[in-house]
Amino acid sequence: MFKFRSLSMAAVCALLPLSFAALAQGDAPIRIGMPVGLSGANSVVAPSVVQSAQLAVEEINAAGGVLGRKLALEVADDASGAVGAQKAFDALIFQKKVDVLISMETSAARNAGLPIVARGKVPYIYTSFYEGRSCSPWMYVNAWVPEQQVPPIVDHFMRAKNAKTFFLVGSDYSFGRGMLEFTKKYAQGKGATIVGEEYLPMDGSDWTAVISKIRAAKPDALVTSTAGGAPNVTLTKQLRAAGINIPYGNLAVDEGTAKSMGANAQGIYISASYVTGIDSPANKKFLAAMTKKFGADLKTPNDLSVPEYEAVYAYKLAVEKAKGTDPEKVVKALGEVAVDGPRGRIAMTQQRHAPLTMYLAQVQADGSVKVIDSFKDVDAGTQCPAMK
Amino acid sequence: MTEPLVIATPPRSGAPLRLPGRALGLFGASIAVALVAPWLLDTYTLNILIRAMFFAMLALTVDVLWGYTGYLTFGQSAFFGAGAYAAGLVFTHLGFDPGHVWLAAGLAVLAAAAIAGLTGWLSFYSGSTPLYASVISLVLPIVMTQLLFSGGTFTGSSSGLTGYTMPDLSLEAWFRIAAGALVLLTAASWLVVRSDGGRLLAAIRDNEMRCAYLGIDTALLKIALLVVTAAIAGAAGFGYASFSGVVAPELAGFVFGTEVIIWVALGGRGTLIGPVIGALLIEWASAYLSGSLPFVWKLFVGIAFVLVIVLLPQGLLPPLLRVFGRAKRADLPALTVTLTEAPLAAHGTDATQPVIELRGVAKHFGSHQVLSGIDFVAHRGELVSLIGPNGAGKTTLMRCMSDGAERSAGTVRIAGHDIRHAPAHACVGFGLGRKFQTATIFETLTVAECLRMARVRIAAPSWWRRSTMLALPPYALEVLRATELDHKLDVQARHLSHGEQQALELAMVLALEPQVVLLDEPTAGLTLEERSRIGRVLVDLAGRFGLCLLLVEHDLDFVREISSRIVVLHQGKLALEGTVQEVVDSELVKTIYAGSGHD
Amino acid sequence: MNLLLDVLTTSAILYIVSAGLLLIFGVMKIVNFAHGAFLTVGAYASLVSARLGLPPVAGFAMALLVGAVVGMAIEWLVVRPLYARPLDAILATWGLAIVLGQLITLAFGREVQFVPSPVDGTFAFAGGEYSAYRLLLVGAAVVLGTVLALLLTRTRIGLVTRAVIMNEQLARGLGIHAGLVRFFTFAAGAGIGSLAGALITPLSSVDPNMGVPWLVNAFMLVMVSGVSMASLLVATLVFGAAQVLLSTFVSPILGGLAIAVLAAVTLRIRPKGFARD
Repeated sequence: MFKFRSLSMAAVCALLPLSFAALAQGDAPIRIGMPVGLSGANSVVAPSVVQSAQLAVEEINAAGGVLGRKLALEVADDASGAVGAQKAFDALIFQKKVDVLISMETSAARNAGLPIVARGKVPYIYTSFYEGRSCSPWMYVNAWVPEQQVPPIVDHFMRAKNAKTFFLVGSDYSFGRGMLEFTKKYAQGKGATIVGEEYLPMDGSDWTAVISKIRAAKPDALVTSTAGGAPNVTLTKQLRAAGINIPYGNLAVDEGTAKSMGANAQGIYISASYVTGIDSPANKKFLAAMTKKFGADLKTPNDLSVPEYEAVYAYKLAVEKAKGTDPEKVVKALGEVAVDGPRGRIAMTQQRHAPLTMYLAQVQADGSVKVIDSFKDVDAGTQCPAMK
Repeated sequence: MTEPLVIATPPRSGAPLRLPGRALGLFGASIAVALVAPWLLDTYTLNILIRAMFFAMLALTVDVLWGYTGYLTFGQSAFFGAGAYAAGLVFTHLGFDPGHVWLAAGLAVLAAAAIAGLTGWLSFYSGSTPLYASVISLVLPIVMTQLLFSGGTFTGSSSGLTGYTMPDLSLEAWFRIAAGALVLLTAASWLVVRSDGGRLLAAIRDNEMRCAYLGIDTALLKIALLVVTAAIAGAAGFGYASFSGVVAPELAGFVFGTEVIIWVALGGRGTLIGPVIGALLIEWASAYLSGSLPFVWKLFVGIAFVLVIVLLPQGLLPPLLRVFGRAKRADLPALTVTLTEAPLAAHGTDATQPVIELRGVAKHFGSHQVLSGIDFVAHRGELVSLIGPNGAGKTTLMRCMSDGAERSAGTVRIAGHDIRHAPAHACVGFGLGRKFQTATIFETLTVAECLRMARVRIAAPSWWRRSTMLALPPYALEVLRATELDHKLDVQARHLSHGEQQALELAMVLALEPQVVLLDEPTAGLTLEERSRIGRVLVDLAGRFGLCLLLVEHDLDFVREISSRIVVLHQGKLALEGTVQEVVDSELVKTIYAGSGHD
Repeated sequence: MNLLLDVLTTSAILYIVSAGLLLIFGVMKIVNFAHGAFLTVGAYASLVSARLGLPPVAGFAMALLVGAVVGMAIEWLVVRPLYARPLDAILATWGLAIVLGQLITLAFGREVQFVPSPVDGTFAFAGGEYSAYRLLLVGAAVVLGTVLALLLTRTRIGLVTRAVIMNEQLARGLGIHAGLVRFFTFAAGAGIGSLAGALITPLSSVDPNMGVPWLVNAFMLVMVSGVSMASLLVATLVFGAAQVLLSTFVSPILGGLAIAVLAAVTLRIRPKGFARD
């Protein structure tokens, strides 16, 4: 019941003797650095991301590793923010000397980490959905950007719910503002009106004033883009407690967080590149393996954790293609390999981003997610024109 | 003619600044380490230490404010953050080039100083309490962070500003710059704190009221100190932002401000070196340990902090030094001081003009009238005793004479100046000195330092030197000689006997070269011998030197011996006034003091 | 109408959170900077109770109890030696807050967790509907204030406590065991603080650092109220209203500043704050 926050620590401790054993064999392990929000806004979803990475590493090691070398996972807490990310990236790159960074983080953390990545010359696979247009010669992204995720929700509200006025609520940082900026342009482009746009700082949890404004503006639909875990839950809780039941599209919630919201989450629309209900052999195999490894401790795999799993495999393929861990060769190879994972065939070929199959879904009363519509291989758009 | 009192060997001439060899050695060693270290340490450690050194500069400012001046501040982080954001904003929105570096640096220092000026004005005013000043220092970083959050895309809000172009210096160069700046700043702070001007800080910490009654505008001094330390903190923030490439609202926040307090408390408040080492060690250890033992490390620091505050308030460094055999006095090694006589300034007033004049002075607390209709005049050379039963309002009357904000009605003139609502230090500036009933001196300062503080209004102290000469007016020297305090110039005031402390306070008040001196029960707690001695001194002051003395006294025999005039205060009014003969044998006084009924 | 309810509920929440701190400040003249940690302790107590499947009332009771016990330990070990050094007491209790926070993190992990609300949904009335739980908190604040007032004015313990508040030396001289009064007051203040934490948790979330923003606001409110429960009521209403109005009509971020800034300005103008004398 009172669990020591040691899942990741246990993983590191468990893998350490493994790596020493590998050393004894004369082959140092390939270190994967994982800066992730173990505390702060993202702490609700971080455990699921760490679990995905652990499964991928275990599977790859069991199958003989990468070029005969085992993989080792180094997790560091970036406190879901800029200052914490700076410390985490520094520790991983310069102290632990990892070979690659594969992680899901808030945009604040990512932006703070990129200059350090550039200085350390380490490949970085960013596995979180985000607001788009973040570019670095060392970074690849295998999760969605607004061009892929927003249209299904807005289109559905306008077509099926006759929504003509929208109210936008977000967390005040690059992700919140970036997503809602795109939503605003897209909706206005389709003829809708935005009747309100409100932001709260990332760690804010008192939405009373915002909710009063929503009530006063009487919009047809609500679209929100708050930071990862806690802001989503507090906002939804307070919205439902205030009796607001208009169509509610949440651009930033994952299946796991939605489940933990209980009855409050019912009716929320999400647009994601992964839902547990995807009916494919790869997904079923993945879910079975996760359940087997983690049992009762399993955190629901979701749109933030599954890309992490696939990214580890992408790195494996890239290292094999580059015949080594040389950073520049690996970076080049990452743009050429394709992974067959729970989300289908993922290749980061569009200006460092990947075309993805998107699902429009609605949360049900029991916390499960029901797919309403799906869109195959949606284009990522022009994210980094400088990268070919 | 009185001869100057020469106490010790004549001072060495020509050396403007005499520094102990130990200090110079430490300074040299630190510079050497700063230059050599980058070749010995790895990249990660260099990174951490550079950031820690900018934080250590911040810790220095907190130590000067809290350890030396007694102002507990949670808000120095706000100035650090202001400096950091100045850099971040300029580099992000205006781009990077050498001109912009100067612009950002200037902006960092000016913005921090401006905010400090406003904060100081809010926190330090006549009548503010230390708790209120700390409250304001707590509100400041909160306001700063909220303002930064509300800046939208301009300030980056929650994500802060990252990825802006920074000065292109190597890691080694950054280390040398940061370390060099830190060493220089520490050295400069040390010079200031040990200087004569620096003793003012300790004086304010020990007894702020005494400072006010020595004519020192403590509010202005504290505001100036805050502005200077804030400018330094802002510069440190600028350096940090230019190096690390990340500015976030946390840097200006309350939690960071308390972390700095922790470093200072653990290192040793009031030691300068302690906080610097504390900041460096804790930051360095955090970086290494918070990866492997994340919670246990922070728990350890928290427990250490609580233990230090409760059991070892002076911090960890002083006990450590003692263990290593370097038992040093908590503050400074004593400096031998020579006393000389200061020429008396000619007074503007002549013997016919009153030195103190009260017209219609009244004071009430709510509906309770304490004083009413007080008309009173005194001239040079008079020794007036104010007597009356307890509760008659004697001390209140003294307060009304020495602080313009006290009285409810009437006018008070000191040496011809209408004091209106002027605060105590201004009244002292008009020519008033006040000696309190309990010896109000500076406990941790030596006798010589206390006296030097008393001369601050007349002879401004140096902020980087320690003078070996102290000039005092002849009557102050008389008091010192009569009580043999001139042989105890190096003794800390708290180690003096009660009688000696009273004498010291009198000497301090006389050092102001006042025209009128208020004395509140000068014989309280004195032995018979001390009493007759002080009586002779007071008569001398009035007769030979022409000071006007006003005493509040209970000892009627003492009053009878020395006074030239007696005033009787009864139930808030001036009941009787006249020569010793007229008053002491009057019916009224007999009634009051014999207690046969009240009017 | 909505606005009025927003103001009322916000003030009620502020009152509940600040009451414990005021009790301690009034009797002991010490600012307990561990108050935020007590809020957190109470929140985690109710989390434990929820995980155990107990009814919400059990959670509140647990919070009260655990807070009081922790408060007793802290008073005995840390606060007592610092009675003569009030500024240092602020620092020591802040250090304790860090220690408590780390212990909680070690036991529960540092991620954000949630406690289900005891009362879901809205309360409908003429003119609209409003969050039922928030309205319930207004009731809770009224009950808390009444209980405290009755305890202080109608019981012997209350009389003794008020004597110590007004003049501790005199109370001692009259034979009142001031040390014991302070001990129990601190425990009570800590218990109430924990209860407050348990009460506010269903509205948002539980994490080891949730107490800090509440600490600052509670501290400013207490500074402005002096030692009087009645003036705390006035302060929470006035400043709570200011916070809500600023948040709604200007910006939520500046609204968050309202209490701290207004309290500082009030103290500057009238150092006694809202207290009568």
